[in-house]
Amino acid sequence: MIKTRTWIFITAVCAALLAVLSAALLSSRGEGTVVEILQDGTVIEEIDLSRVTSRYSFTVTWGGKEPGSNTILVQPGAICVSDADCPDRICVSQGWLTNQAAPVVCMPHRLIIRLKSPSGVDAVSQ
Amino acid sequence: MKRYILFLLAALISLSGCSTLSSGDGESAEFFAMDTVMTVRVWGAAEGTAASMQALARDAEVRLSATDPGSEISHLNANGSGVVSEETALLLRKALELCADTDGSLDISVYPIVKSWGFTTGEHRVPPDGELSVLLENVDYTRIQLDGNTVTLAPGMEIDLGSVAKGRTGDMMADALRQAGVMSALLDLGGNIQTVGSRPDGSPWRIAIKDPGGSGTLGVLETSDAAVVTSGGYERYFTGDDGTVYWHIMDPSTGSPARSGLISVTVTAGDGMLCDAMSTALFVMGKEKAVDYWRSRGDFDMILVTADSEVFYTAPLMERFTPGAVDKYTYRVIDDD
Amino acid sequence: MNVKRLAEMALLTAVALIIFIIELRIPALVPIPGVKLGLANIITVYAIFRLGPRDTLLILIARILLGAAFAGSVMSLLFSAAGGLLCWLVMLFMRRIVTQKQIWVCSIAGAAAHNTGQMLVTAAVYRTVGLFIYFPALLLAGIAAGLFTGICAQLLVGRLRLGER
Repeated sequence: MIKTRTWIFITAVCAALLAVLSAALLSSRGEGTVVEILQDGTVIEEIDLSRVTSRYSFTVTWGGKEPGSNTILVQPGAICVSDADCPDRICVSQGWLTNQAAPVVCMPHRLIIRLKSPSGVDAVSQ
Repeated sequence: MKRYILFLLAALISLSGCSTLSSGDGESAEFFAMDTVMTVRVWGAAEGTAASMQALARDAEVRLSATDPGSEISHLNANGSGVVSEETALLLRKALELCADTDGSLDISVYPIVKSWGFTTGEHRVPPDGELSVLLENVDYTRIQLDGNTVTLAPGMEIDLGSVAKGRTGDMMADALRQAGVMSALLDLGGNIQTVGSRPDGSPWRIAIKDPGGSGTLGVLETSDAAVVTSGGYERYFTGDDGTVYWHIMDPSTGSPARSGLISVTVTAGDGMLCDAMSTALFVMGKEKAVDYWRSRGDFDMILVTADSEVFYTAPLMERFTPGAVDKYTYRVIDDD
Repeated sequence: MNVKRLAEMALLTAVALIIFIIELRIPALVPIPGVKLGLANIITVYAIFRLGPRDTLLILIARILLGAAFAGSVMSLLFSAAGGLLCWLVMLFMRRIVTQKQIWVCSIAGAAAHNTGQMLVTAAVYRTVGLFIYFPALLLAGIAAGLFTGICAQLLVGRLRLGER
């Protein structure tokens, strides 16, 4: 028979290992606001806004039926479409992507910027 | 006797809706159809179920789009008459019933007006009164004849099922999912929300309602197995040279954007098409008529937002609707008598 | 199976069910799905040591089916069944290598097995592996819960004579 002392030791070692492992796994995930940028239904970029330290922008081009490009502006905690050559420019007028609310969408260029995990709600009726 | 102890004890224990399972990501698909973005999330279904919903949306688009020259509706509008598919005829019949029931607050023949304001092309303009009065002569759903699958329009008339098509498509998707045994799915058809069952953990879906006057939310509505559709002036609009805001929801009686004092209407019911139609019709009616109409029907619930920052919601929603922007709006309950 | 034994088993099942349902009504200690004390496990551990594999399985199945019928959904049935069966298997094995003073070890192993079973079913049903980053944390919680229920069961085995052959 295995001694009770040995069992205590085995349990403690297992618990310690699991504690270290879970701390490592969970901290790497982070609790930030992650947004994803989709083009025609495919995720092309994922940005954790809570880890953005400086303001920058980049351009996404679309070569579909109505080709063109959108300039996406990123700053700490926020993202928007700052410029676009689509006819209606609704994506630009939508402004910053805000918490909970609707995704920023550019229909002609099939572009969607949305929060990866909306806080507490499943969808927005609009 | 003793062997019945178990069952006696068990029978005494009351029911509870808890369960301990965690909710995974499910399967999701995203596609562009019917001039909007659709997101389908399905839990506990065969692989590819979410993506298969795209075919349903495409089918509806091909039949119903008023802007697609190849659609059944476009053929009707171009030729003045024609034979449509079974499904389109069914939709048309239901739509005409709702037009009649709302006494024309919903009118699927308002399309020429919407076109003349430029909402179909994005080249917005304010049409002169003379033009509108001419166009208004052809806005009258009672002059649409539906005989079996044969539709006949009065001369000069054009129809658009945009006010019901997305709702109906959501219903069809939800039915298909239910038939496939799916107990948990969330469909977002460009802001028209349709739910199947409840969340995978058994709790109700939490649907935020957009604040018509900002980027936040008006509140959160808990719902299961139902649709939530919102119509608001903020969806599509333009600002005229004089600074007036003109939105896309037209009053069929004036031929101009509906100025009923409402800026947003949310409707929830099991029937998605009813929600879609009602959100437009009630917006046109205005608060007083909408409340009377709700009392006469009672098969849906609604949240009305007025231009003077008041939110009215129907009594059955009291347990399910959590106001969110209390600093901005005054929330009031509409009783059912 | 004689009537006395049947009645004793029914009583244990009923107690397990009551504990299970009372625990559902207590707010969770930690707001993470899957993390709970699993107090009904006390009865399972007790039965493993006092009644033997077959009767334990019967009690477990009855508790899971009735628990789902009274408090859960079809999905939660799948989750508890997977967790429960794996827990039962592991505890059968552990029973052979621990003494009467080490019942808590058996309980910890059972709790960890229960969590593993639930995790596997979750991953299969929702077709996602992303959940596994929570797995170590879940196991850790399982060890804590298993230790607690194990100590309870150990005290019970020492004092209660129900089900003894």
